[in-house]
Amino acid sequence: MIVKTAKIKDTKNLVGRLPAIRFTEPKYIYLAMDNARCPKAELYIKEGDHVNECQVIGMRHGPFFEQPIHATCSGTFVGLEKHFHRNGKLTDFIKIENDFLDTLDSSVKTRTQEEIDALTKEDMTQILKDCASVGLGGSSFPTYIKFQTDKPINLILINGIECEPYITADHRIMLEYPYRIVNAIKYVMHAFKCPHAKICIKSKYKDIKEVYTQVLKEFEGSGIELCCVGNFYPQGWEVAMIKSATGIQLKPGELPTNRGILNLNVSTMVGLYKSIKYNMPVIKRDITITGDGIKYPKNFRVRVGTSVKELLEICGGYKHPEKDKVFILGGPMMGVSVPSDDVIITKTVTSVIVLDKTDYVENPCVRCGSCVLSCPVHLEPVQIMNAVKTLDKERIKKLEPLRCIECGLCTYTCTSKIQVTDYIRKAKMIAKL
Amino acid sequence: MTIIKESAPHIRSKASVTRMMVDVLIALAPTLIFAFVVYPLKMLAFYLLSLFIMIGSEFIYVGLRNMMPNDGKKHSFKERFIYAYKGKFRLENVLTAAITAVIYTLIMPAGAPIYAFVIGALAGIIFGKLVFGGLGSNIFNPAAVGMLFAKICFGGSYPPKYVDTWYFAQPDVSAGPSPLSGSADSSLVNFVNNMGEYSPLDMVLGRIPGTLGEVYKITIIVGLIYLLIRRSADYRIVLSYLGTFTVLALVGGLSIYALDKNVNPFMFTLYNLLSGGVLFGAVFMLTDPVTSPINPPSRYLYGMVAAVSTIFIRFFAALPEGVGFSILIANMVACVLDHYEWSSSKYTWKKFLAMGLLIVIPALVTFLAIYFGGVYNGK
Repeated sequence: MIVKTAKIKDTKNLVGRLPAIRFTEPKYIYLAMDNARCPKAELYIKEGDHVNECQVIGMRHGPFFEQPIHATCSGTFVGLEKHFHRNGKLTDFIKIENDFLDTLDSSVKTRTQEEIDALTKEDMTQILKDCASVGLGGSSFPTYIKFQTDKPINLILINGIECEPYITADHRIMLEYPYRIVNAIKYVMHAFKCPHAKICIKSKYKDIKEVYTQVLKEFEGSGIELCCVGNFYPQGWEVAMIKSATGIQLKPGELPTNRGILNLNVSTMVGLYKSIKYNMPVIKRDITITGDGIKYPKNFRVRVGTSVKELLEICGGYKHPEKDKVFILGGPMMGVSVPSDDVIITKTVTSVIVLDKTDYVENPCVRCGSCVLSCPVHLEPVQIMNAVKTLDKERIKKLEPLRCIECGLCTYTCTSKIQVTDYIRKAKMIAKL
Repeated sequence: MTIIKESAPHIRSKASVTRMMVDVLIALAPTLIFAFVVYPLKMLAFYLLSLFIMIGSEFIYVGLRNMMPNDGKKHSFKERFIYAYKGKFRLENVLTAAITAVIYTLIMPAGAPIYAFVIGALAGIIFGKLVFGGLGSNIFNPAAVGMLFAKICFGGSYPPKYVDTWYFAQPDVSAGPSPLSGSADSSLVNFVNNMGEYSPLDMVLGRIPGTLGEVYKITIIVGLIYLLIRRSADYRIVLSYLGTFTVLALVGGLSIYALDKNVNPFMFTLYNLLSGGVLFGAVFMLTDPVTSPINPPSRYLYGMVAAVSTIFIRFFAALPEGVGFSILIANMVACVLDHYEWSSSKYTWKKFLAMGLLIVIPALVTFLAIYFGGVYNGK
């Protein structure tokens, strides 16, 4: 098929209509010591100590910023254990035994509407920094860094597109917490003195559209509106979203704040509401457990730090246990595959997808050009692949592989079933040398 | 059950090379079946022969390429055979050879002697494809290479391009050459002289002298529609080739009209489009993805280069046809268009300029050569 691939079979019907099951009382909670952005960490507590919910129990140190670690339940610190992190690495996790009392830390306090109205942008940045608020869409980019911009912001875009197939966590969160999302948008608009905000969703989600048409009636005159954008992949990529919502085409590498646009994910907004209203960090999030390899796919609302194994039991375990599986954290297009199911839900895990392993027979490239037509950043994946095969560094640099966003469309669309994206990753490494 | 780590993305589309190849075979089927009906026995013999040669060559090639390395031990023939072919000689190898065989059979003249046919087929598959590394690596269209090889080597000993059948019989042997057969006169003069011999309906139905398959325009158009619906051929190539060809043929027709008011320029254009292998070449040979450039703007340029060379060969060269050669020329240009210095899927003003120049300059050359250059000196 010599065709521009933009629509992917989204397979969201597996779980899209199911409510998010509350599973917030696991026996143990595991918190990662380090993550991709902060490779070092120190602990403030020792074994046997009692911790309160939302208490700061450690600090992650990264090259650009520091990030406090918050306990997501009250209980006793048991020790360190090794589990798989979202980035696919075996990492130390802080193990806390839950006492099911939910004793809140003294730092948690409710702010009144007057106090919130009095918050400036700087105050809000400080709150988000203390609450370790990060992008919950999967990037884990600290939200407060986005807030530190000096540029005037005149449009806030809320990303509720969730263009990856299979995942429905954002869909559920949008249906279940519309007031938190809209209130959080109001807080941010107030802090930035920004007149407009748009909630971007896929135009095929009629249910979300109905909910927000109702909810936004209460907030008339606030400048918040719903914006239905395209149904294609990768519509959720910020450059594609800004293009669809406003018509502005960002240059490669240009930050949206340069054009007066601030974009945030819907899950981040729910966390941000809690941070500003109650001074609480993100302790719960929505995730989707789905895929062909799961018996009963489900949506969950869980505490950050829950072990996936417990959730898999609620889902009835694996379907076809005799077949080999691929275990993916994140979406099937860009997600990370981990070599074991011993995985912990961190703040940025949006979904767990278990697929039956399919082996594809690779054919020689017939130069059909589908990857070139499909590439959202207008690269030529097949040319980059040929350059990598010949290790021609000059040619690789000229073809600009560093612009690649690794959306995976070139591999998805390849008629010869070649893993083109892998070649582009190699090209990126060579080009960086 | 084991959990296996793999790199993203983890899902794939259903599109496959096999499907594209089967689509091309299905699109070729109406033409092939019609040719079978018109020339029952000869066609069957030619077709089976070329199928045997092409698939056999591919089979031997795969075996030679994957020969078991010498590790000092003795292996039985069976072991060696399994080592060389298991998982390496697949459906794709058979299908690609079959497509080449069908196209080659359809573009060979019905009157070709059997030895010319065999040698052309061998040359096409070996020099056109296997020496470059088989599927996906060839620069030239193998069928065109084979057809031209046979034509150049044995052209002198060819009987006429056509043989009489129940569907079409040459009305009168002394009536003169076919619309596109060479003679001492300029080919353009010949062409115009022969336009009166056949009605446009005859041209569409294939009641004209020509090769085994390329004259049946209706079945070719059915194949084209199928390919475009299934997206197994790139419409850009067909569009730019036929578009540029039409424009340049019209310029040629108008230039002749300026000299000779008896020639209808629109009829001239239509006859040019319907004669020879223009339609067949555009639909089945130029669109071969392996030998065409990779990005969309280059594909437009590629079709235009092929159209310009077809027009120049037809109007000004001693060869009457020119589609085969123009396909090979365009295949060569495809490599240049794909060079990394300027290859990009973006449409830049330079590319639009190149497209414009590719129409304007050949049109100007055509007009000057016909009006002032005396290429058309008939009547």
